Amino acid sequence: MSSATEPKQLEDVQGDGRWISQHKRFMYEAKEREPEVVFIGDSLIQQLQFSEIWVKMFQPLHSLNFGIGGDQTQHVLWRVENGEMDDVQPKVVVLLVGTNNYDHTDKEVTEGILAIVKAIQERQSQAQIIVLGIPPRGEKPNPLREKISKINEGLCSKLSGTPNISFLNAEFSSFINSEGLIDSKDMYDYLHFTNEGYRKFCEPLVEEVQSLLQTFLKVENTSMHSSSTADLLCNDTT
Amino acid sequence: MVLSQRQREELNRAIADYLASNGYLSALSEFQKETSMPGEVDKKYAGLLEKKWTSVIRLQKKVIDLEGKLSEAEKEFNAGGPTRDKRSPTEWIPRPPERYSLSGHRSPVTRVIFHPTFSVMVSASEDATIKLWDYETGDYERTLKGHTDSVQDIAFDNTGKYLVSCSADMKIKIWDFTTDYECVKTLYGHDHNISSLTFMPSGDFILSCSRDKTIKMWEISSGYCVKTFTGHREWVRMVRVYHDGSLLASCSNDQTVRVWVTATKECKAELREHEHVVECIAWAPETAHHDINEAVNTDSKKGKGNTRSGPFLISGSRDKTIKMWDISVGLCLFTLIGHDNWVRGLIFHPGGKYILSASDDKTLRVWDIKNRRNHKTLEAHTHFVTSIDMHKSSPYVITGSVDQSVKVWECR
Repeated sequence: MSSATEPKQLEDVQGDGRWISQHKRFMYEAKEREPEVVFIGDSLIQQLQFSEIWVKMFQPLHSLNFGIGGDQTQHVLWRVENGEMDDVQPKVVVLLVGTNNYDHTDKEVTEGILAIVKAIQERQSQAQIIVLGIPPRGEKPNPLREKISKINEGLCSKLSGTPNISFLNAEFSSFINSEGLIDSKDMYDYLHFTNEGYRKFCEPLVEEVQSLLQTFLKVENTSMHSSSTADLLCNDTT
Repeated sequence: MVLSQRQREELNRAIADYLASNGYLSALSEFQKETSMPGEVDKKYAGLLEKKWTSVIRLQKKVIDLEGKLSEAEKEFNAGGPTRDKRSPTEWIPRPPERYSLSGHRSPVTRVIFHPTFSVMVSASEDATIKLWDYETGDYERTLKGHTDSVQDIAFDNTGKYLVSCSADMKIKIWDFTTDYECVKTLYGHDHNISSLTFMPSGDFILSCSRDKTIKMWEISSGYCVKTFTGHREWVRMVRVYHDGSLLASCSNDQTVRVWVTATKECKAELREHEHVVECIAWAPETAHHDINEAVNTDSKKGKGNTRSGPFLISGSRDKTIKMWDISVGLCLFTLIGHDNWVRGLIFHPGGKYILSASDDKTLRVWDIKNRRNHKTLEAHTHFVTSIDMHKSSPYVITGSVDQSVKVWECR
């Protein structure tokens, strides 16, 4: 057993208690908000809530976001085991974590993610769990990308065929061009997504979540506030 | 002249280009001499004078086009929303755009209601406060503080003397509107989040419902809980009393609507047809009975002349539908389909022809009861619409939203 699978609180090196504050807020939200979809993971989950695709597609599905920047598998595991999945009954849980486990081997990270899946299942037997493959990182080809590929392969082989769990691999080819480069238009710091990056990354996820919820939202106009008074008047039937 | 030095030079060069390109060469050489311009005319001035000449005409034409469109739009605006004096109050429905969009709450707004007599509306929020606003002027009046967690519902008695509020802090508070809006009493007894509450028509008792699965009746004068209605298997979301006080209806996360006999606490009907949590309910006023009967009788010719007398109740659910129930027989009469997300708020139009609903699809919808159809849809808020109320006599509708705003809609 490695430290990637041992639940652990994030060490508060800066001393402002933000990590535990967020954990407590998530527990309150879980209890009061009755979400149908819960997203949990690291900054790649956390920053999703500020993207257009979140506002347009995930927010209307009654989603909550339990992402904390910098979290590794052991930290998310601690949060799952300490209340964030207790007072809540989501239909779908989306998990993305592992890119921050710099000190662990690919096998250890895979095990860490599987441990979180198991912990979620124990608490939320009714829920469908979607595990997201970790997206590539770094502008140029680098060893981390290789490691991430191996983690994703490991998850794919371990999770395929398990009931109530689906694995959605990250399409590396949608972010890496023919020269092996990642564009800052997709990932502004070659790790975190831009709006455009999230749109590409989440396309298959939107479809999967919707089919699991058996809910097909009307896709809104691309511009959020396009409905003008004139449009409304055209709809007026009297 | 009004031209700057630079503009004048530009004009001169454009004139020179015009003269050159049209072969007025002697004029050109004289012009160049008089303006002391160097021999070659820069290519970038080619055709400039003519372009400027025609652009004025083009712009004039554009202005005429736009003026035409504007007057057309104005006409449509005035005709599309008929003026109030041309229509009977029973036909008044909310029209976009909103008259006021009021901000002040720091968390989602959970409920909005009108005061029965003053030009005051009240909003409750997850920020634990209650706010008072003047809906005619759009002015903020004051904030009532006292709850320590999300305020879930608020209600006035028929006279508007008392406001009651309930909260996730498991308390019910009574606020006196005749004096200085003070909290005169706090009632304890529920074991969990209190979702909703309402006055008995007499004004002596309050009914409340909670995540603790119970409905409780409270005596105002003593502050005691005098009755507890049990039966729901999960969180009770809303409780509403029939106008004569004999029946009450409730809805729950257990996906049922229940009707109870107030006096005996007996559960008279369990209405099970929604496929998800039932969020809200509303009793039909007498004025709506005629149109409800028309709506039902269009189906079955046999049913004609066979008038239903109700009472009637509507329910709105997370299954996105609104259902109309005949409580006397416990039957669902029809279902209104159209919302694209959870239905969160329902109210009958006082005229009895329409139902108004608020939904997480961010819209406010007006439903024509007789024809059982979605009569009008207003894109009301930028986030889930949580609550709706319509004034009994003044032409106003109010909505509250997770976007933290309260909106006032004028009806015409």
